[in-house]
Amino acid sequence: MFACFYIPDFAVQAALLPELAEKRVSLRATPLAILDGPASLPRVFATNKAARRAGIQSGMTKLQVETYGCVLLRKRSIAVEDSAQSALVNFAGKFSPRVESTSPGTAILDLAGMEKLLEPWPDAMRKMTTQAAEIGFELFVAVAASPDTALLAARGFSANGSSRIPRPGALEAGVFISPGEEAARLAPLRVDVLPVSPDMLEILNSWGIRTFQSLAALPAVAIVERLGQEGLYLQKLARGEVSRPLLTEEEKAEFTANFEFDDPVETLESMFFILNRMLEELCLKLLNAALAAQELRLTVSLEVRQLQRGEKEEELYRHEWKLPVPTQDRSLLFGLARLHLEKTTFSAPVRRLTLEVIPVKPRVAQEDFFAPPAPEAEKLEITLERLRGVVGSADEAGIACVGAPNLVDTHKPGSFTVQHFYSLNASHQIQPQQRCHPERSNPVRKARRIAGSKDLYSSQISNFAITLRVFRPAIETSVELTGATPHFVRLWSRHRRVLAASGPWASSGDWWNPSVWWREEWDVALKTPAGPGFYRIYRDYIRDKWFVEGAFD
Amino acid sequence: MQLKTQILKAQIEEKLPSAFTVYRRPECASIATGIAQIDNTVQGVPLHALTEICGSDLASSGKISVLTSLLAQATRDHFCALVDARDSFDPVSGHAAGIYLPRLLWVRCGTGRMKLPPLEQAFKAADILLQSGGFSLIAVNLSGIPERVVRRIPLSTWFRFSRVIEKFSAALVFVGEEPHATSCGGLVMRVTSEAVFSKNLMMPLKPKVEVVRRWEKKPAYPERYAGYAKKLPEGVGASLVNASLSQQWA
Repeated sequence: MFACFYIPDFAVQAALLPELAEKRVSLRATPLAILDGPASLPRVFATNKAARRAGIQSGMTKLQVETYGCVLLRKRSIAVEDSAQSALVNFAGKFSPRVESTSPGTAILDLAGMEKLLEPWPDAMRKMTTQAAEIGFELFVAVAASPDTALLAARGFSANGSSRIPRPGALEAGVFISPGEEAARLAPLRVDVLPVSPDMLEILNSWGIRTFQSLAALPAVAIVERLGQEGLYLQKLARGEVSRPLLTEEEKAEFTANFEFDDPVETLESMFFILNRMLEELCLKLLNAALAAQELRLTVSLEVRQLQRGEKEEELYRHEWKLPVPTQDRSLLFGLARLHLEKTTFSAPVRRLTLEVIPVKPRVAQEDFFAPPAPEAEKLEITLERLRGVVGSADEAGIACVGAPNLVDTHKPGSFTVQHFYSLNASHQIQPQQRCHPERSNPVRKARRIAGSKDLYSSQISNFAITLRVFRPAIETSVELTGATPHFVRLWSRHRRVLAASGPWASSGDWWNPSVWWREEWDVALKTPAGPGFYRIYRDYIRDKWFVEGAFD
Repeated sequence: MQLKTQILKAQIEEKLPSAFTVYRRPECASIATGIAQIDNTVQGVPLHALTEICGSDLASSGKISVLTSLLAQATRDHFCALVDARDSFDPVSGHAAGIYLPRLLWVRCGTGRMKLPPLEQAFKAADILLQSGGFSLIAVNLSGIPERVVRRIPLSTWFRFSRVIEKFSAALVFVGEEPHATSCGGLVMRVTSEAVFSKNLMMPLKPKVEVVRRWEKKPAYPERYAGYAKKLPEGVGASLVNASLSQQWA
């Protein structure tokens, strides 16, 4: 058996999908028209039942519709319709793994082998329409032995075809056609339900053929003589004798959601509302596919700017989140997006939002039973984003402000990077620490090399390594030399006498690129009111200036 | 007289059950600093408490070295966070001191494009880290921030940090020039170091630690209640007080 999910007035229902449930119900009772076409002359593309009752028809101009008054007008959005179609296919996937996205607002399911699960059919159809209502669709279901029969029954018996409006929870939630009864059940439908060309429809009308019953009763040979194979195919459709395999969507599963605003928005609240809905849809899709999000990519299209030459330029803002653990948690994803957008300033109003999820298999087991107690991985991402909101994402050099420090394999002083902080199995996630020159980190080693004494390396000393407190950026200073040795150092507007000095330690590198460095370091003990202070100063030969790099503290 | 007092107390406790409850701080485990002098004196940095490590910014006091050693010990088994108000942490020195850098979350304040002052950023970041949980040691390095600025932090902030950290199995450590948390500090240490520079070669610092303030493990005023319990007449009131005391001090 096959089931056809058909959404009457799909363009209208798709436009209302992002609205809240309460508002959606009230809007359904309001005359609503969807406009499409060039901005200079938009025309009515689709209407709801209330609008049709008021006399609004497809093809009317915007000006004509406005004369009716109290008609709500919406601009057609292909992105929203794609999203709605994707949601429909995703919803159909809850009932069958084999789903065909036949056309906008229509999906056909293969229910072969599931009859015992779903029977009785009226209850199953009622359940389908009820669940569809929960995600915002007014759905009509038709079940038949062949896909095309189910499709024609859905189109014909739905609100568009026979004015029978299925209500969720009502008995008439759909149509069930038993095998062998196709011709009899389809007989009262009008021929314009068939996929017939306008010319063919005109011919049939001129013959007085207006229902499936009339078309099915014609002799097949005579139809082929007059209308060709197309006519025969239509007659077979009307008799319910056409059968074909489904073109399923299994290979084309995409986890993308789009939304285009009618008018560009400038407030975050509007964006958050839509983002939440989009994430809800994506998470539901992930849940149904038994997958979880590993990456989330956000693309924000800003308002198109009209340039002087008449060309149009679209600005895009992109950001992506790589999650440490796959998740299906909407609130986590929304929290990440919200915290990031709150600290982001856009150069223009937002026109369109696109969310893409990179799916992976969800985590099914604990990573490491003997791992140390760590921040919860999902919660940690929110914490990191909140911290970035306070201290910023990166400094002027582009190094992240929040994360795990990482050493760089270079002799260049002050080189480090900051990587993303992971709480799960940190040794696997982060690359092993790069080697650095040991003397750069510990002046005691430098002293040992010079002095050749081993007594500096007692266990107590190795446990208590002297630490440099770095001044970023280094403080520019002036140094008075006696011979080649610093004698006075100017620090914080005062001349400090050098009690002892160790150096010079010359180093240079990167002469092959613009970031060349060449310096001469001194470790000095300065006389201060609080006692001797140990500082590292250096002379930058490239700029020919002295700097205080930091204090040993 | 005592009986009347007991009756009055029982009546008050009926309406306000926690009126006579004495707040008791939890038993404190600690994290070793890796410095024998400190560990022998104060058994490391206490969990569930706010600790201050003080020392001069101008002279080399060794306070950052103490912090680094503490982080090195803590990152062996735990995840730690360092809120760096002046962005003065040197990863190379930290690595040499034994810090396992992948387990250290480094928050560099004052470097991004945010308009908040570094001190405010540091306190907000510490607050966020406290709320998130999961870190066994949260260190806030206020070195380099002028003393007159740090002094403006209201006492209520320190009090709030002190009460929040009591609920978590974590240590909250502030490093600065002077102690500011007053009675909110579970452990306050002042670090000084001797000049060690011989034959024009720098030697390792030899830190001297003075414990300025330290919470005692036993609760405040137990003797008063114990003595009070002894004097109670036998009866309902006495049993009530004894029960409450046994609950509190058991």
